[in-house]
Amino acid sequence: MFDAFQRLIEQIQGAIFETAIEPVLFHFGLMDWAEDVFDGVEFALYGAVAVVLTYILFRPLELVRPVERWDDKKAVRTDIIYTLAHKLGVVPAVLFVILTPIGAMIDGYLRFKGYIPPEIEQMVTPLFNHPFVTFLVYMVVLDFAEYWRHRLQHRLPWWWALHSLHHDQRQMTLWSDDRNHILDDVLAIVWSGTIAMLIDVPPDEFPLVVIGFRMIESLSHTNVKLSFGGLGSTVLVGPQYHRVHHSIEHAAAPFDRPRGCNFAVILPIWDVIFGTWRRDPAFPATGVAALTGRTVRCGYLEHQLEGFRRLGAALIHSIDRRRPGFVAALPGDQPV
Amino acid sequence: MSLFRRFHHLSLGAAIAALLAVVLAAAASASTAVVLNSEDDTLSVVSSNGGYHEVSRAHIGRGPHHLIVSPDGHTLILAMSGSNELVMVDRISGSETRRIEASDPYQIGFSPDGKWFVAASIRLDRIDIYNASDFKLVYRLPAATMPSHIAFARDSSAVYVTLQGTGSLIAIDLSSGKALWTVTIGPTPAGIITRATGTLLAGIMGADYIAEIDPHDGHIIQKIHTGNGAHNFLMSPDGKTLYVTNRVAGTISVLDADTLTVTATLMAPGGPDDMALSPDGKELWVTDRWHASVGVIELASGNLIATIPVGRSPHGLFVY
Repeated sequence: MFDAFQRLIEQIQGAIFETAIEPVLFHFGLMDWAEDVFDGVEFALYGAVAVVLTYILFRPLELVRPVERWDDKKAVRTDIIYTLAHKLGVVPAVLFVILTPIGAMIDGYLRFKGYIPPEIEQMVTPLFNHPFVTFLVYMVVLDFAEYWRHRLQHRLPWWWALHSLHHDQRQMTLWSDDRNHILDDVLAIVWSGTIAMLIDVPPDEFPLVVIGFRMIESLSHTNVKLSFGGLGSTVLVGPQYHRVHHSIEHAAAPFDRPRGCNFAVILPIWDVIFGTWRRDPAFPATGVAALTGRTVRCGYLEHQLEGFRRLGAALIHSIDRRRPGFVAALPGDQPV
Repeated sequence: MSLFRRFHHLSLGAAIAALLAVVLAAAASASTAVVLNSEDDTLSVVSSNGGYHEVSRAHIGRGPHHLIVSPDGHTLILAMSGSNELVMVDRISGSETRRIEASDPYQIGFSPDGKWFVAASIRLDRIDIYNASDFKLVYRLPAATMPSHIAFARDSSAVYVTLQGTGSLIAIDLSSGKALWTVTIGPTPAGIITRATGTLLAGIMGADYIAEIDPHDGHIIQKIHTGNGAHNFLMSPDGKTLYVTNRVAGTISVLDADTLTVTATLMAPGGPDDMALSPDGKELWVTDRWHASVGVIELASGNLIATIPVGRSPHGLFVY
């Protein structure tokens, strides 16, 4: 069934590209981008599949067992824009065009000097004949890297200024996963690019499995009273577990904003190992206490501009401590 | 260079050998092809035996794009751009014989005298020149941008590489590793081949023609209209017929190799790329990059008689 579905996606990808996109590239003299754009169409198609599946599977949960109900859903609509812009490839395409030449230049320089990133299956040769296992190992390693990127997002004041855009949502739903500042997305790519210099990039042979992982991340933001329980919350990040991470009240020591809790993206084992795992059966309100009103309930572009403002304030504060930072995590906190 | 390379095992040998055993069993009575699926990291074996179909598919490493036959005809060499290696497969037994570290090999080729082996890295803007006898890197040249296809001077004095990103062609002296000239030849040049006369033909993918080029200075002698997205070449074994894939048009132009006149246009939908002739010369096989399939064209009728689903983004092709 999966093969047939993948084949269907391939056929749609080919038809869209051949009839609607390649002629445009040809007309405007952009054929050197043909293969990249072809891959981009695949990315957008699988992204669309992820959006549809996420909505079909998780939206009923939000309707049947919501944690919160709201009358005004403007902030949710903004998250829908975030999701579509990311999953359908608009933001990734912009970042790809900007960052790929830089990455190729750095990679090219290192290769020119003789450095070749080793693959995991070259370090652990029995993996050679087991591509799916290799893929899963990559996913575990990358999830580990994401855990630490997430820790830094909370730990470094200037990074928190950007990441606070993700956290300022008080109406967290299945659409909230992609609510990020574009500079935060750039940093994520730089982060993964750095990892790729060490262990190369994972094979892209299993796009449907990647969709599965992305859906887990959407589920973890879903507005649903659903917990995987004490044991389950050591195996897989779920809605209740991640909601505690987004809690507006979770800043109580020792889980205050800089340290936080439940940072894991998919595998909570990293929280268990590094002491940030927190078992709290509540379904707390989400958001950042000092961030409210229009700055968190605005449209996409205004929210992005707000991110630049927060970053600027944080950087200025780091230079001149007398100047206020962008926000305090809780009333009474020092600005960051 | 990598520390981990020395731990390489020939662990893929069994899988490839098993696949190619099927090829050899079928080869006596039917055409069978090896296809590299660049996005899937797999190798497909397809056959016309019992109806055109994919016999099997196996993981072989990262980013397989092109494959060539060694000068002695005994070895298939697979260029793995993603896993940075060349995979050598015995053409007869199908067993993997060797893996050689090579940084991002995309398009590869041997000089006619068998002395040089050249690999172009389209992603990293670089051309590597190896000693073909031991695959030791001799020269490494930056080449902006997107060096893709390779052709050699008939006397093996120079290699010519199309630069897709800058619409140009670079000529490199093989004995010194120095660039001789770089000349603009047209938008997004791709495939390149050396004619019996010594002149070069380049597919101009951003336009609708192939260009005949003087190898001494790179100037364009003439342009021959083929179709939108002129991409790659295949010369028939007798040297009389030249095939050109037109990627955007979804066609293959058939040319008289002497006069360079187009004698026929064959339908090949799906972004036709690499081609190969069946051993009896009756069928033209082509990878369809955008359709994840291999097309088979009966040359007598000019009809597309089979479309065989394979892995994603099939590229390199070899027909037994």
